[in-house]
Amino acid sequence: MNELLLQGLVNGIILGMIYALIGLGLNVVFGVLRVVNFAHGEFIILGAYAAYFLQRLLGLSPFLAMPLIFAGFGVLGYLMYFVLIRRLAKSDDPEHASLLVMFGVSIALGALMLLFFEADSRSLAYSFDPPFLMFGSVIIPTTKLVALGVVLAITAVLAFFLYRTLPGKALRAIIMNRDAVQIVGVDLEQLSAMTLGLGLGLAGVTGVLVAMIFPAFSPFIGQDYTLIGFIVIVLGGLGHPVGAIVGGIIFGLTEQTAQVYMNGSIASLMGFLLLIGVILVRPTGIFGREAMK
Amino acid sequence: MADNTRKTQLGAMAKPVIWGAIVIVLAVTFATVPFVTGNLSFMFYMMLWMTMATAFNFVAGLAGYMPFGYVAFYGVGAYATGILYKSAGLPIIVALIGAGAAGIVVALIMAPTLRLRGVYFGIVSLAMALAAKLIISLLPPNITGGSMGLILSSANNPMAAYYTMFIVLMLALATGTWLFFSRTGTALRAIRDDQEAAEVVGVNVVRTRLKAWVAAAVFPAFAGGIEAWYTNAIDLESSFNLLVTAKSIVYAMAGGLGYLVGPIVGSGLLYGVDHLIWQQFPTLNLLLLGIVIVVLILAMPRGIVGAFAQRFSRLRKYIP
Repeated sequence: MNELLLQGLVNGIILGMIYALIGLGLNVVFGVLRVVNFAHGEFIILGAYAAYFLQRLLGLSPFLAMPLIFAGFGVLGYLMYFVLIRRLAKSDDPEHASLLVMFGVSIALGALMLLFFEADSRSLAYSFDPPFLMFGSVIIPTTKLVALGVVLAITAVLAFFLYRTLPGKALRAIIMNRDAVQIVGVDLEQLSAMTLGLGLGLAGVTGVLVAMIFPAFSPFIGQDYTLIGFIVIVLGGLGHPVGAIVGGIIFGLTEQTAQVYMNGSIASLMGFLLLIGVILVRPTGIFGREAMK
Repeated sequence: MADNTRKTQLGAMAKPVIWGAIVIVLAVTFATVPFVTGNLSFMFYMMLWMTMATAFNFVAGLAGYMPFGYVAFYGVGAYATGILYKSAGLPIIVALIGAGAAGIVVALIMAPTLRLRGVYFGIVSLAMALAAKLIISLLPPNITGGSMGLILSSANNPMAAYYTMFIVLMLALATGTWLFFSRTGTALRAIRDDQEAAEVVGVNVVRTRLKAWVAAAVFPAFAGGIEAWYTNAIDLESSFNLLVTAKSIVYAMAGGLGYLVGPIVGSGLLYGVDHLIWQQFPTLNLLLLGIVIVVLILAMPRGIVGAFAQRFSRLRKYIP
């Protein structure tokens, strides 16, 4: 029983880091733009399809595909800012309006993928040798371990970017105080567009990892990932980058340890109950607004 | 002076009078449809979406909440109807009343989330809807029909379902009338615009919001139950389909949130277009729905009625 629990904890941390990556993409965008990207999950699935077709058509390995997808999705996000998001600032209630616009994008994108890629599940043909690694009694698939490595690397780069570079510091400054940043002379428009690019880029890369770890993906399942992302960031605190990581790991651990003792649906239910519980005790999440100042 | 007072009184009366006329026209139209046309289904769903959008307007338009898990009420209503009729063997009407009660119970369970504001509320409400779906999927299959769902063919009676939907729509419009024209409506608008100020003036924030919340939950629960009765089939995927939320939002917003006529105009136009042109292409229909949402929010954030009221501001006092 203890070994099973240990296995659950290890799985929880690995999946939790992937969930954290989903949350990070959402949170950077929410923090800077006040945009709730309801279509994040659809972009993740689009990233998975991109990796799939890059492999099928060009023979690219998922690792080579990742930077390409990041760049491509980054440009997409940058353009999307000017087409969709900039206009929302004039709305009566920009936060809700952004949620609704991205909800529309999510439905349209899901339908588009269904139209182009059809409803069949796809999976990425990629394997490691050896396929499993043993750590004492704990078995970890090599793909999961590699994915964990990639997530840690991305998180480290992102942390370096946010906390050590000038544009990163400007982004965090916007999260903390929008008005003051404009007085200092930061080009809010450019930085906002770049942030949406960063958010979508992260979604695309997450998609590649998701395609590697989970056996199959289809146009319908984007919303599941969006929801996981929301749970993670609401748990951690909307708009807070560190909160996303903490939220991701807590959610992953809850889900995976629950899976050891209960069936899958109850385990997912535990995730929702955790969210609802935390929110009722602390409406702003673990790292709430106050914690940021 | 006296003339002025009379004028303002006339102005104050104009909204209820115009609204009353609209309700009468709707009532006569829907009541006589089964005798005039063979297309019962189209008008049934028109009433269903008018009900869904109207009730959505209670929370979104008046209380300022965006319940992204709105489908929870609809799905729980459908399942309550199915379980009470099929598994408990109650008459269909009793089962439908049970659906309404189930909607109220779910609303009360979710009531603590009303403390949340803005997007937090929307996201948690969505999680609640998925939790409701998961809980139903975990109930014993001999009660819920498992993954196959429930078949209610023994209750089959489209005409009776049509008129039940008619009654529910009328009740929703009546509730809307009460919510918009009573003190409760004024209090709700005050809370939406500035909660702290409303509290200071002595509005009971919790109770007032709860009224709108419960009113917004009962009607989708009824609608879900009646739709299940009308189509004779219930399953998890269609009862908890996020598109139910999507369409309620789109129809209500297209018309104009915060106006009584908004959801009626929105559902009337968009459901009509949806049905007439797009129904043949399910995937394209979804794509168009998504695009319509985006274009609507960007181009006409206040909806058709809202844009009209802004353009012709002198007519605003006549628009209910």
